Amino acid sequence: MTPISSPLDRRRHLTGAVFVTPTMLVIIAILVYPILQSIVLSFGQSSIDGSEPYQFVGLKHYAALAGSERFWNALWVTLVFTGLSIPLELAMGIGLAVLMNEHFRFKGIARLAVLFPWALPTALNTLMWRWMYNTDYGLFNAAALQSGLVDRPINWLGDETLAMGSMVVVAVWKTSSFMALIILAGLQSIPRDLYEAGRMDGMTRWQEFREITLPLLKGPILVALIVRSMDALRTFELPFNLTDGGPVTATESLSLYAYKVIFDFIEFNYGAAIVVVQFLVIFAMSLLYILTLRNKD
Amino acid sequence: MKYSISALAAAAAFTALPSFAEDLVLSIGTRGYGPAVERNIERYAAENPDVSIEWNKVSDVPGETRKLYVTSLTAASPTPDIFAVDVIWAGEFAQRGWLEPLNGLLSDETIGSFNPSLLTASTLDGEVYALPLYTDGIHFFYRSDLLEKYGLDVPTTWEQVQAASEVISAGESNPQFYGFVSMWAKIEGLFMNWLAFTNGNGGGFLDGDGNIAVNSQANIEATQFMVDLLHEHQLAPDSILNMRPDDARTLFQQGRAAFLMVQDFVHAPLSTQDSPVAGKFDFTRVPYFEGHADANSTTMGGWFLGINPNSENKEVAAAFLEHFTAYDQQLTAAIEDNRAPTIGAVYEDAAMSEAPILAQFGANYAFGVVRPSAIAGAKYPRVSEIMQLEITNALHQQKTVEEALNDAQSQIEALFAE
Amino acid sequence: MKTRPRFGLYALVILSVVISFLPIIWLVLTSLKTSEGIYAWPPQYIPTPFTLKNYINIFTNSPELLLYVLNSFIVGVGCTVVALSFGGLAGYALSRLGMKRAGVLMVFILAVSMFPPVSLLPSLFQNFLKLGLLNTYTGLIIAHTGLFLPFTVWMLASYFATLPPEIEEAARMDGMGFFRIFWSIVIPLSWPGFVATGLIVFIFSWNEFPLALVLMTQNAMRTAPVGISLYPGEYAFPWETISTATVIAIIPILIITAIFQKQIVGGLTAGAGK
Repeated sequence: MTPISSPLDRRRHLTGAVFVTPTMLVIIAILVYPILQSIVLSFGQSSIDGSEPYQFVGLKHYAALAGSERFWNALWVTLVFTGLSIPLELAMGIGLAVLMNEHFRFKGIARLAVLFPWALPTALNTLMWRWMYNTDYGLFNAAALQSGLVDRPINWLGDETLAMGSMVVVAVWKTSSFMALIILAGLQSIPRDLYEAGRMDGMTRWQEFREITLPLLKGPILVALIVRSMDALRTFELPFNLTDGGPVTATESLSLYAYKVIFDFIEFNYGAAIVVVQFLVIFAMSLLYILTLRNKD
Repeated sequence: MKYSISALAAAAAFTALPSFAEDLVLSIGTRGYGPAVERNIERYAAENPDVSIEWNKVSDVPGETRKLYVTSLTAASPTPDIFAVDVIWAGEFAQRGWLEPLNGLLSDETIGSFNPSLLTASTLDGEVYALPLYTDGIHFFYRSDLLEKYGLDVPTTWEQVQAASEVISAGESNPQFYGFVSMWAKIEGLFMNWLAFTNGNGGGFLDGDGNIAVNSQANIEATQFMVDLLHEHQLAPDSILNMRPDDARTLFQQGRAAFLMVQDFVHAPLSTQDSPVAGKFDFTRVPYFEGHADANSTTMGGWFLGINPNSENKEVAAAFLEHFTAYDQQLTAAIEDNRAPTIGAVYEDAAMSEAPILAQFGANYAFGVVRPSAIAGAKYPRVSEIMQLEITNALHQQKTVEEALNDAQSQIEALFAE
Repeated sequence: MKTRPRFGLYALVILSVVISFLPIIWLVLTSLKTSEGIYAWPPQYIPTPFTLKNYINIFTNSPELLLYVLNSFIVGVGCTVVALSFGGLAGYALSRLGMKRAGVLMVFILAVSMFPPVSLLPSLFQNFLKLGLLNTYTGLIIAHTGLFLPFTVWMLASYFATLPPEIEEAARMDGMGFFRIFWSIVIPLSWPGFVATGLIVFIFSWNEFPLALVLMTQNAMRTAPVGISLYPGEYAFPWETISTATVIAIIPILIITAIFQKQIVGGLTAGAGK
């Protein structure tokens, strides 16, 4: 916007500032202030009994993080979880969106069903899945054993590789609907005549999808990706309620590790450092998305 | 605005003004001591009408409650005035200045009435910081009907447990049946389990001289036994490594296990009318390894009550605390809620004959062993985490038992050297 | 427009519906079983016997569950109203009023929402304690608003961006003030977007746990998810009570979702351009 300093523009900017102020005040009070406190904490050290509240120690905690096997494990777990669940959610989301975009009876119920997983509280949601995954009396093993697919119960949540997979399944179940809704948005704004033109040219449905739909979905896909990646990189309730970071630390995400450090070990400073690093990772990833997908133009 | 009870009483006596109610906020879980809390509050309120007590119910899941306390105590919140802490937090909170020392607020006689070994968990430099409310421990539950069916005696050693499990499993020939279940998920309870096994072999967290020796030979053997029980002899389900206490209890309740090693609380659900194993089980002291018949292998737990150092009503809180943990209250809780008292004299009371199960639990407490929370103080969470992690590594066979325990030892030594 | 029945399509739809509903159905079934039925092996697919005992128990033993649901409702509505008002104004300003550095502010707002809420707990609690906002509806409403404003601003901003600018320009030519334009033109035109965003924020607030746990310590002020977390014991996990309480706590959400599903889909639909 080229700034033309007419009285109307100045009035516009002033009004804008006034409109934005309440939001900024709340955001500063609730988000920015604690974040700054966290950052400051991460550069300091307090004594155990609170008698020495703060001593500046520079990058000490960050150095400790760099050398901490558990931290790198948490980072790895978080990246693997994100790397596995996002593409699957995206694929499922696109699939569901295309499905919901078609005309059929009971569209209402179908859309409702698709919304449900996402509308439920994550904690309770995850507990339900934990119940179903239970090795000894869970629904999945009961079905698997009774149908003769396996003869020993499967340790869904206790086996290193399976646990991550089980967690990804729950994540995909819950958020495919969210992705689907955002993408459905984009789908519904694609002009129909593009498809008609394509059909007249003899395109198959798959070609339609690749040549027409996907390129025009880029915008919504970007939004969905950023939002979901931010959430996946911060995943806490899921590993906390499903596996408690287990087996051993195979599903211990960064947020879960930070939580342990802050509330179990009560080391606020070290915990703050973890959170700051986590934030940098999220920020970097968002930038990556924006740059990559923008350049594709 | 701070009025003491006596000043209030005086004012009320000499004037016609309505008296202020003192507000005490009590924070304790709903299930752990549930019915007793309401009773005790009512009793106290009846005797002290000018004190109003608000009960902030909190989760009994220690992790949830801890989150709450860490947040409010760090911020120096004046409420809750009185709160319940897990036995393993008492030393840590005391060291952080999160509990008010009680020696100045309560009489020596009151403090002295409690079980001295329990008090050590909340004593720091000679000052007591919290009073034990109730205690519990780990016991060994068995299917008496199955032992009878196969003509086996109640096992007292782990070697016997192994033998008995093998006989029963072979006999039952049900792939869903297991000899032994317990709570071996990566939780605090695993550390408690490990302490039971290792102490049962003459080992433990400390050695005879009081030095930290988690990688002693006795410990290595005991831990190896745990690993073998699961992997070599396959007497426990794979899922034992995911099990919280309730999961293990459920398996046993479904009739799918011969032996169960968890805390007292399971007795109630296992004995209900619709429990498949009601009347078919009993319990004994946690086994020991051959040659260690006097081992203390009953790992103990429990909850304490303390006063918030930021409270604005410390004297009133102390009076309430004293009442809450007094002899009469503990006796009632013992008989009606099966809560093990922490005042030794209560066990001698004639009325205790109405709580035979509790007496049986109590007999096992004589072989009690506590976790090293008092020694470790504020470092205990780290210590427990290290132990849980390395024991889990050994059980998952990610490391050999020796490696795991050696790693644990060096990490703990480094921690204490800080 | 195809006229022959598309079995493949219907099969996929049915499959999606079943998978989406599966855990909820299992939850409801569990709440209708007896204790024996819940822990039975092999597991009961249909509750036998079928019982309402759990529901009766909840209402007799823990009637405060309804209070918790009410609290969640009050906080949810409060947060939604405030978030929509503030977020609407801000979103309009940032997308329509051509502010300098609107883009920077938008990115800033997005960036600060990237911190995990759990790490905000200790300092938020401390600040609220000092301000006397603990255990108040106001306090939790403000906290939730803070959490969800970034999302609200982004959603509404992208919504406003899709409106044709001619109407507003015409109004400005007529000398209308910006606020009046916003109030009497923009809001009605983008009403579906407001409804949809509002519903989503309401759901976010309803389900929020860590802040609700820590900022409302008095029993009477607890919200539903926190209240339900009181049921598990240190050792025991009473599925009977929890499944029942969960069903009760999610009924309002399910009802609202069902009634407004058209708006939610429509809302997210049109607002996701940027």
